[in-house]
Amino acid sequence: MEEVVVNDIQEVIQGFEQNGYIIDEELATIVFLLLKMRKPLLIEGNTGVGKTELANQLAAFLDTELIRLQCYEGLDVNAALYEWNYQKQLLAIKIQENSDKSESEKEKHIFGPEFLMERPLLKSIQAKDKAPVLLIDEIDRSDEEFEAFLLELLSAFQITVPELGTVKAQHIPYVILTSNRTRELGDALKRRCLYYWIDYPTLEKEVQIVHKRIPGIEQTLAQQVVGFVHEIRELKLNKTPGVAETLDWVMGLQALGKQSLDEEGVQRTMGCVLKSTEDMDLVKNEGIQKLIPNDV
Amino acid sequence: MTELPLHSFALDKNPQGISHQIVQFSHFVRAKGMKVGVQETSHAVEIAQLGLIKTPNTFKNALSAVFCHCREDKALFHQLFDEFWLKQDDGKRKGQMKMHVERITKSANQRTSIMMMGRQKNDSQSNELKDSQTTSGASLTNRLRRTDLSKMTEVDEELLEELAEKLWKQMNLRLSRRRKNSHKPELLNLRQTIRQNVGNGGEMIYLSFKKKKKRKPRLLVLLDVSGSMDKYSLFLLRFIYALRENFAQLEAFLFSTQMVHITDLVKQKITPKDLKALSIRANAWASGTKIGNCFKDFNENYAPRTLNNNTLVLILSDGLDTGAPEVLNAELKKIARKARKLIWLNPLKGMQGYEPTTRGMQAAMPHIDVFQSAHSLDSLLALEQYLQDV
Repeated sequence: MEEVVVNDIQEVIQGFEQNGYIIDEELATIVFLLLKMRKPLLIEGNTGVGKTELANQLAAFLDTELIRLQCYEGLDVNAALYEWNYQKQLLAIKIQENSDKSESEKEKHIFGPEFLMERPLLKSIQAKDKAPVLLIDEIDRSDEEFEAFLLELLSAFQITVPELGTVKAQHIPYVILTSNRTRELGDALKRRCLYYWIDYPTLEKEVQIVHKRIPGIEQTLAQQVVGFVHEIRELKLNKTPGVAETLDWVMGLQALGKQSLDEEGVQRTMGCVLKSTEDMDLVKNEGIQKLIPNDV
Repeated sequence: MTELPLHSFALDKNPQGISHQIVQFSHFVRAKGMKVGVQETSHAVEIAQLGLIKTPNTFKNALSAVFCHCREDKALFHQLFDEFWLKQDDGKRKGQMKMHVERITKSANQRTSIMMMGRQKNDSQSNELKDSQTTSGASLTNRLRRTDLSKMTEVDEELLEELAEKLWKQMNLRLSRRRKNSHKPELLNLRQTIRQNVGNGGEMIYLSFKKKKKRKPRLLVLLDVSGSMDKYSLFLLRFIYALRENFAQLEAFLFSTQMVHITDLVKQKITPKDLKALSIRANAWASGTKIGNCFKDFNENYAPRTLNNNTLVLILSDGLDTGAPEVLNAELKKIARKARKLIWLNPLKGMQGYEPTTRGMQAAMPHIDVFQSAHSLDSLLALEQYLQDV
C-alpha cells in the first residue's frame, strides 16, 4: 500500500476538510510537521475540544489504521506492549506432556508468536503495509514510570521481547499523545514532541463544525446553540461543554423539531449539554432567556 | 489570527544565514527564560529546510510547535517571535541582536547567581516579577516552598498558588497510587475457581481470588479562621480543596466563635474570588477564637453525621483560645475517641523554639495523634506521609 505524500500545508487543510474536519492553518502546520518530521505530537487541551478526534481524522486522511492506547492509573508495560497468553501456554504444555519433543523444543513452541498477545505499542511497530497512527490517549493519567518507558520507545521505535528478540518498526508510526493536563508531563517527553495547545473553537469555527457534521441544520438554530454554549463556557461550570456536547444538543433539538432556540427547548434538552444538577441550576440562575443570542 | 506585515519579515537569503539567524533566535528566547536547547534549534533549522519560512505566520506556527512545551509558553513565544523577526529592519538587527542577546544572558545569569546566594533583595514588585520570569525554576521554587505564608508578598502569593496546585496534584496522585506490600496471600475464591475451570477438565488454570473491600476514608477538616490565623486561613482552605480529590467524602467547617459548615462550597470549584463567598458566610472570619465552644457545637450538631471510625480529622489552628481550656479538652476528647486519626496543624510550630504551651494547646495535646506545622508549602506537603497510612 502506498503512503500518502503531503507537500503542502494546503493539502492537509483540504484533505481534512474533505473528511468533515475543520482545521485551521496553525493546526494544519503542526500536522504537516508531524508528517514530515515524524516526531510525536503532544496535544493538550480541555476535555471535549477534539484532541482524540484529530488522531481519528489523521488516520482517515492517511487512509491508515488507528491504534489506540488508552492510558489509565496503573497502566503497565504488559498492558501496553505485550503479554504472553499464559492460559494457552499451560494448555499447550498439557497437550505436549506425552510428545517426543525435547524440553527446549517445547519451550520454543510455547514462546512462539502464536502465544504472544500484542498490545497497542507492539502492534503499532509491527504494522506491515504502511505506518499506522498511534494514539496514546490521556498520557497524563499514566504513571511517571510509564512515561519514562514511553520515552525510550518513542526514540528508538524498537522493542525487545527477551524470548523472541528485538522487534524494529518497519514503518515508524505517526504518534499523537493527548493530555488533559491533570498532571504536568516530564520535560524530557515534552521536548521529544511537537507541542500544540488546542482550545475551544471560535464561534465561527464551531458553527462551521456544526454545519459540516449535521448537514441541513437550520442556520439560526446552529448559531443560537453555539452562541449559547459559548456563553455558558464562560460560567464556572463543573463540566464545561465541549464540541461533542454542542453537536449532541443540536441533534437533540433537531429531533424535537426545533428551528430556533427558545427557553422551553433549552429546559427540555439541557441534559445534552450540562451534566450535573449544579451546573443546570447555575445556568438557570443566570437566566436562560438572557443567554440565548437574539442577534443572529 | 492577524496576518503579520510581510515587508518587515526579513530573512537572510543565504541558507547558512538562515541557520545563523535561527541559532540567534534560540539564544534570544533562551535568555528570555524559555527552555530551548540544541534539539529545538536543530528542529527549527529542519523546519526552515522544509520551506515553512515563506510567510511569518507559517514560520511562527511551525516554530511554536518545537519551542513551546506548554500552553503558557505560547504567549511569550509569540511576543518574542514578533520582537526578534518583525520589529526591526534587517540591517539594524544584525548588529543589535548580538549585543541584545549577550546583555540579556548576562543580566539573567547575574540575577540567578544572586538568587542562589540568597542575598536577593527585591526593591519593587516589578523587579520581583522580572526575577520570577528569568530565574531558573529550582531556586525560586525552593524559596517559595519554605517561605512562611504570612510573610508572602503579593507577587509571591500568585507564584506560590501555581506551584502549590502542581505539587498538591502530584501528592494526590502518589497517594492514590501507592500500594503496600503484603505478606498475606489473597483469599482463594474456590467456588468461582472450580466453576471457571470446568471447561479445562478440572485443571486449575484460572484462579479467582477474594479481597477485602477497602473503605475509602472520610476527611473532616476544621479550619480556624480567627484573627490570629487570618493570614494562613485562605491558603489552608486551598489545601483542603486540593485534598478533596483523594478522599471519598470530605466535610469541612470553619470556626472562630461559631461553627460554619462549608462542605457544599468546598465541593465546588474554588477560585480566590469564590473564597470571598466563604468569608461572607463565615461572618466570624478574622474575629476572636472560642475553640472549645465551637467543638461543642460540632459534637452536638454535626458529629453524628460527619464523624465515624473511618474519619481522618484535620484541625488547622494555632490553638490561641480565649475560651475555657477544660471545654476544649473535653470536646476534643470526644472527637478523638470517634475518629480514626486526629491531626492538628499549627502554623506557629514552624517558628523556631515554639512549644505548645498556650492553654489551648496544652488542653488539646493529649488527644492529638499527629502535631505538625502548617506555615509553608513544604510543611503542608510533608503531611503526605500521614495521609497515606489512613
